[in-house]
Amino acid sequence: MVRPSPGALALKYALILFACAIVAYPLLWMVTMAFKPYPEWTTGTGMTWFPKNPTLQNFEFIFFGHAKGAVVSLDRTIVGPLIASIVTSVCGTALAVVAGTLSSYAVVRYGILSGLPLQVLQLRLFPPLAVMIPIMVMWAFLGAGDTWWGLSLIYGIVTLPFAFWLMKTFFEEVPIEIEDAARVSGCSHWRVFYRITLPIVAPGLATCALFVFIMNWSDYLLALMLTQKNWMTLPVYMSTLTSAMGGQMYGVKSALGLIAAIPPVVFGLLIQKHLVRGLTFGALKQ
Amino acid sequence: MTDIISTRVADVSGDEAMDGKAPLRRGYWSAVARDGRRLGKWFVAPTVILLLFIVVFPLAMQLYLSFTWWTPLDGVRWYRAFESFNAGDNYARLAVDSALWSAIWRTLVIMVFAVPAQFLLGLGLAYLFVDQFPGRKFFYSVLLTPMMIVPAVVGLMFFLVFQGTGPFNHTFGLPASFTWLTDVHRAMLSVIIADTWQWTPLMFLILLSGMLAVPPDQLLAARLLGGSSWQNFRKIILPRMKPVIAIALVLRSVECFKIFDLNFVMTKGGPGVETETVSLYLYKKTFADLDWAYVGAIGLVILFVLSAIAASGLAFASKKAKG
Repeated sequence: MVRPSPGALALKYALILFACAIVAYPLLWMVTMAFKPYPEWTTGTGMTWFPKNPTLQNFEFIFFGHAKGAVVSLDRTIVGPLIASIVTSVCGTALAVVAGTLSSYAVVRYGILSGLPLQVLQLRLFPPLAVMIPIMVMWAFLGAGDTWWGLSLIYGIVTLPFAFWLMKTFFEEVPIEIEDAARVSGCSHWRVFYRITLPIVAPGLATCALFVFIMNWSDYLLALMLTQKNWMTLPVYMSTLTSAMGGQMYGVKSALGLIAAIPPVVFGLLIQKHLVRGLTFGALKQ
Repeated sequence: MTDIISTRVADVSGDEAMDGKAPLRRGYWSAVARDGRRLGKWFVAPTVILLLFIVVFPLAMQLYLSFTWWTPLDGVRWYRAFESFNAGDNYARLAVDSALWSAIWRTLVIMVFAVPAQFLLGLGLAYLFVDQFPGRKFFYSVLLTPMMIVPAVVGLMFFLVFQGTGPFNHTFGLPASFTWLTDVHRAMLSVIIADTWQWTPLMFLILLSGMLAVPPDQLLAARLLGGSSWQNFRKIILPRMKPVIAIALVLRSVECFKIFDLNFVMTKGGPGVETETVSLYLYKKTFADLDWAYVGAIGLVILFVLSAIAASGLAFASKKAKG
């Protein structure tokens, strides 16, 4: 490659640093806000990017419902919503990954239901709100509203397209010769799948699970519509903080936002290499 | 043919070939395990059941309800909704529902500004990342972060940033009375900025992967022949990226049309209905007005139109990818 001139390189770094600054701007404000005491929440007394008197009071407040020096207290702490978020995201992920893995393998290897991929993809296209009415009627009918399994079920279905397409691309990369060899030496189809193919795609399976987990964890709308009290997830809990408290709990909400933001960012960085594949339903690989 | 042979082999040797200790089982499941097509049918069963349960049946129900006046307040079970059959009045109503059309208009405004902005910024960033340079991996990770953050949390972040007493006004020396989220014009701008902040990384990611797929020797040859960077970019990189660009634009447009979390957290659709998008309008109709049959009708129409647009867009993209 032709070496870029020092001037061009400097310009490149300047542009990239500028982009990073834009990325950091709102992020940093929220992260530091989480550690700020009440008087520093707004710029009324001069803006501080970093807390002058760093405190864990905000975290204390959402975890225990009260904090030293706080006038108000919370009747609902973060613990319930945190558990709800974890349980429903994990169960929804398990459902999507198991169903997606099995069916994509059947489509790739046995050519069953060759129309299935597009059908599954269709699922992803429409806004969830456009099809929520019958879901809500059904959920009420089944008694699935505001339960962990009701929300997990819908999560599993909504993220199934991602699991399906992602696993499809991973299975397509497994050379059929390996499977044939195993089959010739006497393995049943199930054994070939379970003992040979699945271990080969294990890294892909892990990627897929993390990817789907991020999707489920990030949901707001579905939880908003299908849960009320017992199983509200973190984002829904965040919006109840505003209405319950009257005033705007900037610091407390930031602490909550920080907690909610960490898992997907960590997982996302872990599977960075496969993000393109996942997000474009396997149309592009990196 | 090989399939038949290998199944025969499996039939004969069973599981014993793998480990001699396993007893030879006879029964339904071991027969299924040896028959690829039968096993495959069991494998697709969960997905097919889920699709039937969550797509086919609900859509049929939605179609049925959309021809009635049914609401959950009726006290009538949904399957008896035919009692208030209205012969398509809901569809006639949505054609003249100005609140709906203005919500669609606002959604399109967000799309028209946000998607191209994300595309151009993403394309520019991707161009900076084509070559190796020290720190590339680190900056790459930093720039990808926004799209991994929960959208509702991004909404919160920009809610905080755009407060009158927030950092944005302070940074640019604007007075606290210069509001963003409660201002008729700037509320929309705030939502567009937030959406662009979150999703430019997605464009960047997709476009970069497309750009990296351009054969480097072609670029090198063009450069040695004296093509300027701009010429190379326009004549060599861009034409080769067409399918990738199509995928990125279709994907982002479809997702952008669904926008809900950001503006719901930031403005709740306000001030008034200034940032009320289609999803938010449907949400309000569902929970504030409980007008479920009508929402069902709107949902079906949106579904139909969007599927048609997206299907043709994807067909175009895959045709380009092959051709």
